Amino acid sequence: MERSIVVVAEHTQGRLTPVTYEAMACALEIQRIQPARIVTVVVGEDAVEVAQEAIDACDQSVLAVKVPGLDSYNGEAYRWTLSHALCGLGASWICVPGTTQGFDFGPGLAVRLGASCLSNIERVFEQDGQPIFVRNLFNGKISAELSAAAPTLLIVQPGSFRWERHDIKGRSYVEVITVEWAPTHTRLLGFKSLYPVDSALRDALVIVSAGRGIERRENLELIHRVASLFPRSAVAGSRPLCDNQWLPYRLQVGQTGATVAPDLYMACGISGAQQHLAGMRGSKFIVAVNTDPEAAIFHEADVGVVEDLEVFLADLLEESARLTP
Amino acid sequence: MKILVCVKQAPPADAPIKIDQSQQWVSVYGHALPQMGKYDEYAVEQAIIIKEQVPGTTVDAITNGPAEWATVLRRALGMGVDHGIQALTLEGGYASALKTVSCIALAVRARSYDLILTGVMSEDLAQGLVGPMLAETLSFSCVTSCVSLRVDESRNCVYAERDIEGGRRQLVELALPALVTMQSSTNRPRYPSLSNIMRANSQELEVITVESSEDAVSCEKLLRLSSPQKTRSAVFLQGSSKDKARELLSILRKRSVLH
Repeated sequence: MERSIVVVAEHTQGRLTPVTYEAMACALEIQRIQPARIVTVVVGEDAVEVAQEAIDACDQSVLAVKVPGLDSYNGEAYRWTLSHALCGLGASWICVPGTTQGFDFGPGLAVRLGASCLSNIERVFEQDGQPIFVRNLFNGKISAELSAAAPTLLIVQPGSFRWERHDIKGRSYVEVITVEWAPTHTRLLGFKSLYPVDSALRDALVIVSAGRGIERRENLELIHRVASLFPRSAVAGSRPLCDNQWLPYRLQVGQTGATVAPDLYMACGISGAQQHLAGMRGSKFIVAVNTDPEAAIFHEADVGVVEDLEVFLADLLEESARLTP
Repeated sequence: MKILVCVKQAPPADAPIKIDQSQQWVSVYGHALPQMGKYDEYAVEQAIIIKEQVPGTTVDAITNGPAEWATVLRRALGMGVDHGIQALTLEGGYASALKTVSCIALAVRARSYDLILTGVMSEDLAQGLVGPMLAETLSFSCVTSCVSLRVDESRNCVYAERDIEGGRRQLVELALPALVTMQSSTNRPRYPSLSNIMRANSQELEVITVESSEDAVSCEKLLRLSSPQKTRSAVFLQGSSKDKARELLSILRKRSVLH
């Protein structure tokens, strides 16, 4: 059987999500090392419409798995339909976007397919004709190179692969299959938008963001005062701060919170967990303040300050007041 | 109902670490003591909450690692877990999720749990794989990244709220037996009580040895550890804290984000 590299598309409201293109970019990297055809698989009630977008983006084949009634994500449906749809594809590598959805169905799908599973893949390189997968460990402090035997399901780290639009050579086509599915064990009851992402975060030119390193709730006052130095600024935080109820969840930056890209992102006492980086990596200029010189946040920063947060922010406010007449 | 919580030991997230001589694993330096993973603590807390709400509930905890991981089982007992199971491995270091899953599955398959809880990911490897892979191996229904969970015994199901992107939550009804992975939430994990600590220290742990049925070929191999590549080249400011503050203000003025 011809071997293939499969990309499982993620889509919402009839559109592919940006992370799907990143998973496609990961598949292309693997294809350069181990030539195989790439098949993008779209699952859902509107799979055929969404598949058209995938076709317009790349010259690979697209498999639309139409599942009547599946109008939003259901893990049981994804595992069941994909394990059937992928049977005939001879997939060596299966690339899944590393979102809460990818992490929900991906590992179980791997088991069902008899594949192994690697997550948080951020880079692929070639060694002796084989793809080697790079991911980080220990909160971004260590990088690990892993080899795996096909078939393996790869959960692709958001923000790590860059998709470049290229000329369509016209070899692409959509194959459509319809799969009947009814829930047996997992029933979707709906969605809650408890914490609509604060519009202040989206509109801010400067975001001053606090992490666990601020240590005391009272230090949020310093964060607010630093933010007030800048026009059109906002205060945000990492997930542990919101879990502590020091900040409302609507001000959380990261994978399960807001994705922001301000002119300046100032990370104060943030270690740089992947889930946080996913939400702020696109910022134009990043300043990180942390006591730990090994903190992963410094790998993403333009300017690094290794200092006690309380002391440094107080000095910053004092120097700013001194320089401003 | 019978609940199982899967826990493991990891260095704290902010512990200073370096690659050890074998180039295959790390050593932790300084005074940071390994502890139960943060998300595992949320899973234990959730199990204890259910135990308090549903009469007749028993909670077991299992760990699959070297002998020193017994400390996390003691911690779980201290929080209120009834029974600790240690599925021993001979060595520590990198463990393929596939291997861990096959060991835990072998150890628990015959014990007919109604609900298995795990953390959404560990703090060291942060793979997020063992929970959902274990569910599939045991044919349990599964939902990941949950912040809230409610058991309805009469309907033989659980209701879960899972955190998804964009500050939204998905509400899911799951038939038992089920496996749920827990994300952090406002449910703060409790500290072990004094009476539970005394009980935990005197209680025997069930120690078992299981051989993974996964052959080495199907598991990924860790080839090398290294320092991560930097995506941006951070300029580290030098001098005293005040010097750094002045320089940062000057950089931000040059970039016109500060006037």
